[in-house]
Amino acid sequence: MAKQIGADRFGDFYIEGSRVRKRREWRGFVDTMYDYSRWLKIMMTLGKFVMKPRNVKAMFRYRWMANYLAVPMMVDRHTQGLRGEYLRICHEEQDLVIDDVAKLLDSLFRGDRRIGNDKKFSDKVVLVDENEMTAVMMGFPTLKVLSRETPSTYVSVLLNQRAACHYIDVAQEFGLAGDVCPMPEAEAGVSIDDDAPILGACAIQCNTTCDGSLLGNGVISQRLEHEDGIPVFQLAAPLRHREDDVQEYAAQEIRNAIAFVEKHTGVKWDWKAYFECAKRVNYATKCRQEWLEMNRTPYPQVFGSNLALYTETNYMAICGRVPAFEKADRKITKLARQAYAKKKMAAKEYRHRAIVWGVQSHYYMDFLVWLLNCWGIVPLTDMLSMVSTKEIAEVDTPENREQAIYDMAWLTENMIMRNRTHGGYKVLLDELWEFVEMFNADMVILWEHMSCKALDGMHGLFEEKAREKGIPLVWVSHDLFDPRIISRQGVRDQINSFMRTVMQEEPIDPSLEILPDDQSW
Amino acid sequence: MALFLHVLKIIAIVIVALFALTFTVYIFNLDMKLTAAIEPWLLKHYDKIDRDQHL
Repeated sequence: MAKQIGADRFGDFYIEGSRVRKRREWRGFVDTMYDYSRWLKIMMTLGKFVMKPRNVKAMFRYRWMANYLAVPMMVDRHTQGLRGEYLRICHEEQDLVIDDVAKLLDSLFRGDRRIGNDKKFSDKVVLVDENEMTAVMMGFPTLKVLSRETPSTYVSVLLNQRAACHYIDVAQEFGLAGDVCPMPEAEAGVSIDDDAPILGACAIQCNTTCDGSLLGNGVISQRLEHEDGIPVFQLAAPLRHREDDVQEYAAQEIRNAIAFVEKHTGVKWDWKAYFECAKRVNYATKCRQEWLEMNRTPYPQVFGSNLALYTETNYMAICGRVPAFEKADRKITKLARQAYAKKKMAAKEYRHRAIVWGVQSHYYMDFLVWLLNCWGIVPLTDMLSMVSTKEIAEVDTPENREQAIYDMAWLTENMIMRNRTHGGYKVLLDELWEFVEMFNADMVILWEHMSCKALDGMHGLFEEKAREKGIPLVWVSHDLFDPRIISRQGVRDQINSFMRTVMQEEPIDPSLEILPDDQSW
Repeated sequence: MALFLHVLKIIAIVIVALFALTFTVYIFNLDMKLTAAIEPWLLKHYDKIDRDQHL
């Protein structure tokens, strides 16, 4: 128990065979009291949520709701070892995301035909995929944009590593292929298992990135359209998103999606609201660029899961539609500037500067924190955080209204993951090495999501380029949503053996090398 | 005045007791230990729910 960064042996916090850890961290008086106050705030958010009888009813109806028992532990996993500004940045982000997800759940259950059955509210709801850019909803401020997959699968796996296993098994019991990405497979499993809330005037699905995604959308939309009577629009954004010849088609898809929403909700597109959102999108981009700029120096500030989780939420799911995120961007930037001016470090030793590439293991998002605490590897940025930095039109003029359609199309094409896993050799392979140079990185950690066919085909090309550049590259295999295929320890072992054999190094905190967290949330 | 001080004393005792209680729960992770004990019971409950399972 110490105030000093890195004074604890973090491995001692784990209990063999347990879901949870022995105790919380003592971070010195000031930081512990801060963390305690934020824990109280989270408990109040959760308390407020369960005060509503319909939310309790939903807790007993939907299997995935059990994962929300683990909310405070998710925050503990991501704040491990953090002090000062880093701890505050993490809480600023995580607490806002928790609040946003609590509101999302509350809205879902309000409109859900099984739970709240508020028909008037449900008629104002447009359902969207989890893995979908919500840019197309920026001009509909009076409609509720809700994703059923975000709380049932995406957030659930962040909370509990085994959250999706039941749904993956259900999908496969019904004959769906077992070699597709487990994320859309689990989403389809929720639908097959009759475990998705039923609500909404209409829905928009996106051709995310892969065969699994198309398979999942097919299963879900079948039930939505033919049984629940909720019309679904398939927003098919082009995959060759860097090519000029696809942009007109992409823009037309956006026009069609807007017309579809207008038709089924009776609500007209609002340009004033759109351009307000566009300003917030630009502000978020500006902040993210400033954080990345700091990460190019010896004193990176917003990195690891602090960068990855927040970018995923803010860029894609929020997309300028929630003013609270603009406030958070401002606070995070202020904290990062403060820490940068004082040349602060998040761990006692930085040994390597790494670019983390590929699609990360969702059941082990706090792996980035582990990398830092165990081996002193600083994950400067990751593939999913390297999204569009293009400034979109934010002033309402007749020309900009036309440009805005193209901007929404661009954002949709460049949503997280698909902007790198599709779009050609340059965006996935060449730009990695450009970032290695730009960030002065001396190591590449390459996630190998074994069910992601988009990346698997490039294996040899990555290795060839790494050899040519003389940059150590380590592959870390995982199966995204399914820790039964490769466990968290299996993920760690790949780094441990690389660091010991290739890099000939000893860990900074040896207690973290092997952890008994197989049964942990 | 005496009554006012008495009320203040009671409020202070309540605040300190609440702090001691919640801080103990926080530092020893008792909230998570409790919810971990609830989870198996909830999972059994979900298994009993009738569902219209199909593609």
